[in-house]
Amino acid sequence: MNKKILSGILAAILAVSCLASCGSGDDSDTSSSGDSDTLVYAQGADPRGLDPQIVDDGESAKVTNQIYEGLLQYEDDSTEVKACLAKDWEISDDGLVYTFYLQEGVKFHDGTDFNAEAVKYNVERNTINKTEDMTYADFVWGYVSGVEVVDEYTVNITLSQPSTPFLANLAMVFGAPMVSPTAAEEGDLMNEPVGTGPYKFVEWKKDQYVKLEANEDYWNEDGKAQITNVVIRTIEDASTKILELQSGDVDIIDGIDTNQVASLESDSNITVNTTPGMNINYMAYNAERLDKETRVALSQSVNVEELVAGLYNGYAEVATTILPTFVPGYSADETQIAYDPDAAKATLEEKGVTSLHVITYTNARPYNTATGQTLTEAIQGYFSEVGVEVEIDSYDWTTYKDKAIAGDYDICFYGWSGDNGDPDNFLNLLSDTNAGMNVARFNLATNEDDQEAYTAYAEMISEAAQEPSGDSRNAMYAEMEQYVADLALWLPISHQQDITACKANVQNFQYHCTATVKLYKVTKS
Amino acid sequence: MAKKKVVLAEGAESEVVIEKPESRLKSMWDALKKNKAALFGMFVIIFLIIIAIIGPYITPYDPYKNSMAEANQTPSAVHWFGTDTLGRDIFSRVIVGTRISLFVGIAAVAFSLVLGTIFGSIAGYFGGKIDAFIMRIMDIMLSIPSILLAVTLMAALGKGLDKAIIAIGVVSIPEYARIIRSSILSVKENDYVAAAKVLGNSDGRIILHHILPNVLSSIVVRATLGISTAILDTAALGFLGLGVQPPTAEWGDMLGRVRSMVLVYPHELIFPGLAITLAVLAFNLFGDGLRDALDPKSRS
Repeated sequence: MNKKILSGILAAILAVSCLASCGSGDDSDTSSSGDSDTLVYAQGADPRGLDPQIVDDGESAKVTNQIYEGLLQYEDDSTEVKACLAKDWEISDDGLVYTFYLQEGVKFHDGTDFNAEAVKYNVERNTINKTEDMTYADFVWGYVSGVEVVDEYTVNITLSQPSTPFLANLAMVFGAPMVSPTAAEEGDLMNEPVGTGPYKFVEWKKDQYVKLEANEDYWNEDGKAQITNVVIRTIEDASTKILELQSGDVDIIDGIDTNQVASLESDSNITVNTTPGMNINYMAYNAERLDKETRVALSQSVNVEELVAGLYNGYAEVATTILPTFVPGYSADETQIAYDPDAAKATLEEKGVTSLHVITYTNARPYNTATGQTLTEAIQGYFSEVGVEVEIDSYDWTTYKDKAIAGDYDICFYGWSGDNGDPDNFLNLLSDTNAGMNVARFNLATNEDDQEAYTAYAEMISEAAQEPSGDSRNAMYAEMEQYVADLALWLPISHQQDITACKANVQNFQYHCTATVKLYKVTKS
Repeated sequence: MAKKKVVLAEGAESEVVIEKPESRLKSMWDALKKNKAALFGMFVIIFLIIIAIIGPYITPYDPYKNSMAEANQTPSAVHWFGTDTLGRDIFSRVIVGTRISLFVGIAAVAFSLVLGTIFGSIAGYFGGKIDAFIMRIMDIMLSIPSILLAVTLMAALGKGLDKAIIAIGVVSIPEYARIIRSSILSVKENDYVAAAKVLGNSDGRIILHHILPNVLSSIVVRATLGISTAILDTAALGFLGLGVQPPTAEWGDMLGRVRSMVLVYPHELIFPGLAITLAVLAFNLFGDGLRDALDPKSRS
């Protein structure tokens, strides 16, 4: 009898402890989005790191943009700048000295004060103390020749030459955000970010999720986080991402394939948002290997309109320019090489071009949701019509970037998402001397005509960057656009819309045209 | 037929002893005939071989011609299996893919069979240190998951049918080497081998003429089943984007490129998927039937 009672008690204890452990298991499950206190956002790749002055990928920016802030920020629906950590600013008449008046009483998440010294530290981290891996340091701060603390909340930044994009650059998600000087010196910002933003970092499980929580001491009452917990998940497989949204495990997803939109739209529990994307999807000829006549002929062989209609189901527009239509400097008068397969065939035959080595990426990118592989095979079809065989080597994105820098290709596929809404941000890609940016290798061109053209182009870019914004500056970019179109260094393909989807109960979610998001405003009902 | 049966029934014992090779083949065929599943497998294999030979001449469309305006169409009278992302006719691509899958499957098996036989024979016949050395290498290869080894080899060699054959072939060498070795171990102690040795035959001749013929049946069965594995491996490599250089039509590759759209355009997955299933099933059924037919224990 005693034994029976004893075993009964033991069984009861077992059952209870089992229940308890199951319960605690549920608690630790961070990826449930059932409660209105937690927002789950899913993207297609893991962040590279969480130090905004080092990383350069959109996936990292989705996380860092919640944690960090810069001196300035963009308006919600454009790339006009407005105050952020700097409440006001002045520019000297010669355009060289920028005076910033800072918000008072702001603290980094680790308790460090945000003041003029902190700004000075950040600027110097990107200039005199810059390391090789800071991709955007020169882009944002390249013209800075000095930074000076005027008083605790006033700082002067001096440029070596006037730079029109400078203010817009200060609102960018890369290079410009202010990091805590204490954490930068003593901590590990790539893994434990410390900023001033509405959310602070909790945990990063590599390849799974980054967890953030609302910053209770946030300085700006109007910018306080509405939802307490944010989980940014990495779900690589596109269809899994959609299934998780439909099953309710995820609130918001981005990077949706255009083929999936129709089925998502038919689901009443899901809202699909499309916004014009500030990007360009292009094919680049290697100017080291292909001369202008060959490049023109190859461009003539591709029916870009048919291609874009077939691949993107109406969610991308045919690119007639490198600049997206809403970026200053865009002109509707530019003409690209026209589709003319007969002429192309004649030229290529005469030149003896019969085979090309093409490299491409296997995955989808924000500017090309159809994947580089599919786009490349579509182009391969056009080339075979004019008698050119194509050998394709495809790599995952990380490997691909190294291959592009190595330069062993006749043609490669690339794209660009605009950072700051300035035309310089797009058109200087062709004057850049960094092989990872200038994939047409225009600066390394072997042909003499191309070399001269490059020198002239680089000159034009540098002039335009110093010109104050306005009609005459825009005209300069319009001219440059036609200049490179005639050289056929790129074949501009499309401007892709940004497609995101969220559950119907998610409000105030907005995807910014710089391919970033700010989640502090989002609420769930 | 009827007459022969009667003869067999009357003096079964003596008859069997007299007609040697023919009767073995014949009795195997008799056993196979009774196995419906194996027969089905055999007919499908013959059908696939015919398709592989004449396929490229009977496709209704050019399987390699992009037609962007007709992308992602569902099956219709015009395109029986629909069209893919680049507007290519899936029916034509599945037909053309038959040749590739069968060719890679058979060639890969031949590759591993030849090398496996050589290694296995040497190890089994000579024994000792050579045996230990060869078989430890085979063990090491077996300890690596086969698809992982194939993927690594493909990554090192690059894309292409020839490389796929090597990668898939190398992976299954140890299996054949093991089978051959164990068969040889059991055969080599027989008196007739000793006799051949005494008569002064060379080792190579003994292996080729006296030992291998005796282990042939187990090799044939394994090879038939191996083809189905090789077809699956080819598809797996293609699915992972490692198999063939585009625009080559390969079943696994066709599956892989549309896997993210399984819910939107299921037809783009179903048809190449069915083709893979059919081919693998056929070789499996036939291989199983063959094994039963060759196995004296299962013949009553």
